[in-house]
Amino acid sequence: MAADDLMSSQKSHRTRKSGPTMRKKSEIDKKKRGVADNKQPNPRAFSVRSVVKAKRLKIRAVEKEQRRIHLPTADRTYGEPPPFVVVVQGPPGVGKSLVIKSLVKHFTHQNVPEVRGPITIVQGKKKRIQFVECPNDINGMIDCAKVADLAILLIDGSYGFEMETFEFLNIMQVHGFPKVMGVLTHLDKFKDVKKLRKTKQRLKHRFWTEIYNGAKLFYLSGLIHGKYSQREVLNLSRFISVIKFHPLSWRTSHPYVLADRLEDVTPPEKIQMDKKCDRNITLYGYLRGCNLKKGMKVHIAGVGDYSLAGVTAFPDPCPLPSAAKKKGLRDREKLFYAPMSGIGDLLYDKDAVYININDHLVQYSKTDEVNGEPANKGRGKDVGEDLVKSLQNTKYSVDEKLEKTFINLFGKKTSASSERKLEEDAQSSPEGSDTESSEEFQSGDEVDDHEMDVDSNDGKIKEKTELRGGRLRRKAIFKDEDSDEDGDDDNDDEEAEDAESDGNEDEDEDGEDESVSDSQDSDEDDVEESEDKVLGNISKWKEPLKEKGRKKNPNLMQIVYGASASSATALINENNEISDDEDFFKPKGEHSKNLGGGLDAGHVNSEDCSKFVNYGNLKNWKEKEVCEDIRDRFTTGDWSKAALRNKNSVAGDEGEDDELYGDFEDLETGEKHNDHENMESGTNEDVEAAERRLKKLALRANDKSELEDDDNDNGDGINPRNSEAKEPGFVDKLKEELEIRKQMNLLELNDLDEDTRIDIEGYRTGTYLRLEIHNVPYEMVDFFDPCHPVLIGGIGFGEDSAGYMQARLKKHRWHKKVLKTRDPIIVSIGWRRYQTIPVYAIEDRNGRHRMLKYTPEHMHCLAMFWGPLVPPNTGFVAFQNLSTNQTGFRITATSVVLEYNHQTHIAKKIKLVGHPCKIKKNTAFIKDMFTSDLEIARFEGSSVRTVSGIRGQVKKAGKNMLDNNAQEGIARCTFEDQIKMSDIVFLRAWTPVEVPQFYNPLTTALQPRDKTWTGMKTFRELRSEHNIPIPVNKDSLYKPIERKTKKFNPLVIPKKLQAELPFASKPKNKPARKRPDLDARRAVVMEPEERKAHAIVQHYKLMSKVKINKKKAKEQEKRKAYEAEKAKKEVISKKRNREERRERYRTEDKQKKKMRRGQD
Amino acid sequence: MGKTTYKRLKGSQSFRQRLLLATLSSTPIIIDEIRADDMIPGLLRHEMSLLRLFETVSDDCVVEVNETGTRLKYKPGIVMGGKNLVHSCALTRSMGYYLEPLLVLGLFGKKPLSIRLKGVTDDPKDLSVDTVRNATLHILKRFGVPSEGLDLKIEARGVAPEGGGEVLLTVPNVQSLTVCTFFFIFFSFLTASYVLSVYISLFQAVQWVEEGMVKKIRGWTFSARVSSDFEHSMRFAARGVFNNLLPDVHIFNDHKSGPHAGKSPGYGISLVAETTAGCYISADTAVSCGRADETGEIDVERQERKPAEDTGVEIASWLLQEIEKGGVVDSTHQGLLFILCALCQQDVSKVRVGTLSPYGVETLRNLKEFLGVTFSFRPDPSTGTVILTCVGSGLINLSRKLS
Repeated sequence: MAADDLMSSQKSHRTRKSGPTMRKKSEIDKKKRGVADNKQPNPRAFSVRSVVKAKRLKIRAVEKEQRRIHLPTADRTYGEPPPFVVVVQGPPGVGKSLVIKSLVKHFTHQNVPEVRGPITIVQGKKKRIQFVECPNDINGMIDCAKVADLAILLIDGSYGFEMETFEFLNIMQVHGFPKVMGVLTHLDKFKDVKKLRKTKQRLKHRFWTEIYNGAKLFYLSGLIHGKYSQREVLNLSRFISVIKFHPLSWRTSHPYVLADRLEDVTPPEKIQMDKKCDRNITLYGYLRGCNLKKGMKVHIAGVGDYSLAGVTAFPDPCPLPSAAKKKGLRDREKLFYAPMSGIGDLLYDKDAVYININDHLVQYSKTDEVNGEPANKGRGKDVGEDLVKSLQNTKYSVDEKLEKTFINLFGKKTSASSERKLEEDAQSSPEGSDTESSEEFQSGDEVDDHEMDVDSNDGKIKEKTELRGGRLRRKAIFKDEDSDEDGDDDNDDEEAEDAESDGNEDEDEDGEDESVSDSQDSDEDDVEESEDKVLGNISKWKEPLKEKGRKKNPNLMQIVYGASASSATALINENNEISDDEDFFKPKGEHSKNLGGGLDAGHVNSEDCSKFVNYGNLKNWKEKEVCEDIRDRFTTGDWSKAALRNKNSVAGDEGEDDELYGDFEDLETGEKHNDHENMESGTNEDVEAAERRLKKLALRANDKSELEDDDNDNGDGINPRNSEAKEPGFVDKLKEELEIRKQMNLLELNDLDEDTRIDIEGYRTGTYLRLEIHNVPYEMVDFFDPCHPVLIGGIGFGEDSAGYMQARLKKHRWHKKVLKTRDPIIVSIGWRRYQTIPVYAIEDRNGRHRMLKYTPEHMHCLAMFWGPLVPPNTGFVAFQNLSTNQTGFRITATSVVLEYNHQTHIAKKIKLVGHPCKIKKNTAFIKDMFTSDLEIARFEGSSVRTVSGIRGQVKKAGKNMLDNNAQEGIARCTFEDQIKMSDIVFLRAWTPVEVPQFYNPLTTALQPRDKTWTGMKTFRELRSEHNIPIPVNKDSLYKPIERKTKKFNPLVIPKKLQAELPFASKPKNKPARKRPDLDARRAVVMEPEERKAHAIVQHYKLMSKVKINKKKAKEQEKRKAYEAEKAKKEVISKKRNREERRERYRTEDKQKKKMRRGQD
Repeated sequence: MGKTTYKRLKGSQSFRQRLLLATLSSTPIIIDEIRADDMIPGLLRHEMSLLRLFETVSDDCVVEVNETGTRLKYKPGIVMGGKNLVHSCALTRSMGYYLEPLLVLGLFGKKPLSIRLKGVTDDPKDLSVDTVRNATLHILKRFGVPSEGLDLKIEARGVAPEGGGEVLLTVPNVQSLTVCTFFFIFFSFLTASYVLSVYISLFQAVQWVEEGMVKKIRGWTFSARVSSDFEHSMRFAARGVFNNLLPDVHIFNDHKSGPHAGKSPGYGISLVAETTAGCYISADTAVSCGRADETGEIDVERQERKPAEDTGVEIASWLLQEIEKGGVVDSTHQGLLFILCALCQQDVSKVRVGTLSPYGVETLRNLKEFLGVTFSFRPDPSTGTVILTCVGSGLINLSRKLS
């Protein structure tokens, strides 16, 4: 009942009849029912209303389109691309190594015990990746940022962003921004799903503001069995694999190597003599950036500048599956290469190299014999140990040897530094004398070949073990020489080897010489014989190859470049050889005759003259027959013949090349030259066709890249290229041109043989190089830490000399303090890191660079500093402190180099103050302004000004104008008006500011990595260290201004003047009145009504006054009470605040301590 | 930057190129034993003058010469360029000696170079200023040097021994040299506020190996302080040689008198043959009183001075000889061509030259030493030419300010 009552009492729902909701509903309803809207959309809504506006819109669209396009850069990487560097960065304890481990596991199914140094893995058919873990200190971060192609920023999701991430981002931004991908970890710490979602959102947006909208942020939700979940790792790897890398300008113009192996190759006796002697080291790594030429200087980050003592190209330790040919089923593809991490066959340690051999590949039983022999050592030494020891002693890896043999076979020139290795080759090659093994040699197969010394009772036996095909073969080589007692003294072995292989070596060297000089044919047989001896059967099938190699070596090159080696006679011989048909080298021969061998190196003082005129042998060109010879060189001659002249040469050459090259495979690089192009371009093909072919090639390449680009664009959602695709724009044309250029270069370079090619263009990017560097401080080896990347960067022309650089600098907005002029900062610029002293300045309106004491807060300023030059437009980043346990943002400024110079033009304001000592009419003599007449001479003609604003000019030293005994430094100045003795004269001028020539390279690799590098200290640091107060100039202090009140004397007007004044101006001296005047004295008598009114008014006034007084008193009381209350409250809140703060500080301190502990 | 390491060289050979390349690659050099065993030891006057010229053009370069002049220490500075520079060249060599390195040096300056050179304009040893103007500058243009601002103005002639000539050279500065493959035409495309520089290639020559056919021959004769009859006879004689081959021969004359004629009497001729492929092949000489050598004896050329007709015939024949040799430049310009190729971007340039001249070979060696640029050679026996291929060093003008 009651309920019903209640129900009935409620109002029934009334549907809405109007309003926006109803309208919407009705529309939807209509649509549902399929009722056509009777309201026609405005047909003119989207038509052009205003022509001007339409035009403007169009222009805007075009502009937007243009902005998207940037000038294509020439791609000069011709070789196989090196592995992409993926740097994994993050604050400590965020899971960097775990991510790398998971990724490596995913790609290679291999567990990495420890991430030390770069790990190269094969990711797909055409792609390799090199993982680098970024160390936690800022030096490592800088070096990583310089090499990274892709940076994976790990962020602890449960904690949020940390400064390291942003620091790293900023460093990268300055050194050319590589691709960036964020990864959130530790997300399993969130229990609340909503909170997790919120946090993700927040972090993502923060990440976007720092990089760009839509930057990829990845989430790794948590660990499963101590690993990230496979699905997520798979997703991450997919994202890594599809990322496109774009070239960065600094890197494409400088070669660099990220070393994944370092070896100390100093002669051991040198180290024994002096442990702190300079070391020779070898560094291994892929060449990136651009081609490396042989004589180039390099900078090793954290060490210094060195010239390369030797560069050798190595077969790729981790080749692409397409490049490496499988020889047999046993051959597993190498999917990874991490010499310092302990996966793969080779474990590289600081003082030893270990080789991992699978048990089933080795038969240990045979080695027992060796084991049975008594070992001289006190400690128990088994063969494995011995083997490894001797492996360490062989100095050159098998790969190197193989490399050399290959070159040797083809009769190529080797550098002097690598001759040692050749000797070894000569010795080792009889070992694998059967054809099969030689093939294996070339393919760069895994053949472990090493020698070891075993001390036995009956003299010394040198043992050579070779691990091939799972069989251990040992060859005993006897020798009389005493080997050292110490097994680990490798140099002795080295020598022994040398001595032992002397016989072969001589012949071999002969052979080398021959192939180099390549002039006397008589000896050639000899050489071949010797080579036959060495190579056995192999040489047979190589003979034709060898001959070809010899033929194709252009002799002209040796004549020009090998001048010192080849004698003058050889030169003439050459001439004779070639000049059978026509006088090809005649002028040179003549020259040598005329000047007595002017081409010789001996004639060092020959005249510097570009003209080479010899009128003696001029033909008589007036005769018709003589003229006929060159008739076709003129437009009056036969055009077809002239055309043939150009064509013939090109085609003929290519034909020759074809003959020379045929089909062969470049085993070193794995490239296959089956020369389809060359065949195509047969003998009777003209230039045009070649051009067309080039174009076609370029087009094909372009199309491919275009497609890739399009894929990329699709990801962005907008694809403006589509509209453009039909009609090729200028940019497309330019792209095509660059591509043609590239193809042309490739064609030219591939025509050359390997050695000449390296001479001409240097080592190609992507080759695995061994760089030998001499005289490196021993600390580099001693404190070598594989976790820190070793960056070797090439130095361009002029970049090793120092000078002043001018840069546009801005204090980083997150750095709290402004920078002070002449406070040392640490900059990371180009490959280098160094400390320098900048002077800040700003450009005035008139182009003057005015010195600034401090950098502006939010503005760019100029910075001038001294250091090794870098090309303009290079960015750099500045730090003040590199210590790890510093809170706050360490990057103090970012900047870009504008130009460099050998002098600076910074000026600061100077104000000279003087006082007049003698005043003539408009001339005054000013003292105290200058100290000497010489100084005055410097300032002659400059303008001065008094406090009262009278302008003037310095004329001359005013010595003679004053008394004879006047002191120096008094200047005669003229003013526009007479000045007073009490005036102060100012001279405002500008004085040049010196920029200190200070530059201190950071040698962080020469000290323990956990130690903070300290360089020059700032003033502030020094003052706080030595407890020196800040000096205060007394004059600069502000004091209260005390002004005396001025007392003026009464004005006295002379009587005479008074008399003459008009009456109005005359002072009126009225005598003082004795009585008040009438106005004051009169009495006021009021009328009765008036009096009444007056009384009433007075009453009212009194009343209001009393009222107001009462009110005031009341208010005061109220206020008093309020104040009292407030005071009470304040006391309470203060108390509470204090407690709160204390609590907060306590926790913060705890956290900080914890952090510090964690970092240490 | 602490200690500077010097590259050590010996002798006075290819002095200009060594200085030039040392400056461009900013390598400090020490040259020892400069004419140590000669009658007149040490640097000669024109070499000192060249050093002064380098000092004028560049900033902060250090030149130290020992007392006998047999040892030179040169630390290059920054090439500044600039306007209103004046240099009076030593009279022992003519302007061509100074212009050859200066042209290249000026390209890599901080500012465009405009310099007035005073001295001997023409002599038989070096390039005459006419040739520089009409052939050498065209070669530079081939390498992407903008043609505006590249000019040589001959204001006064002057021959040995007294000189008195004056030329005004202006060279623009470039960011880098482009490979001589394409001709780039720049024109800017203005859209509201955005300027896009657009390149268009004309494919004039794929690589500079095509010599083309000589389509015209131009010549410039001059006479200073002598009768213009000398010029007429030279022209007449030279034209006579070409009569068999080409009708399009024109030789301009330039008779100077008064202050524009310098201080010594003399006359000369410069011939340039232009081919259909845009190659310029030149030959030149000048005749004047021989200059006194430093030992006091008069140069040999005085005895050999020939009548004007013979000079004309000789130079015309020399030009034909150069044409016969083939190549895209004459033997005199080989050095310059190689240097330019070596300074190009890191692309392959390919050029064809006739027989390598000793100077060209010298250049190649210097290039290898300083810039590390090695050329590969491919002789072409059918034409008697050599095709040289190199990858440029990619030198960029570091001193140019970032705009």
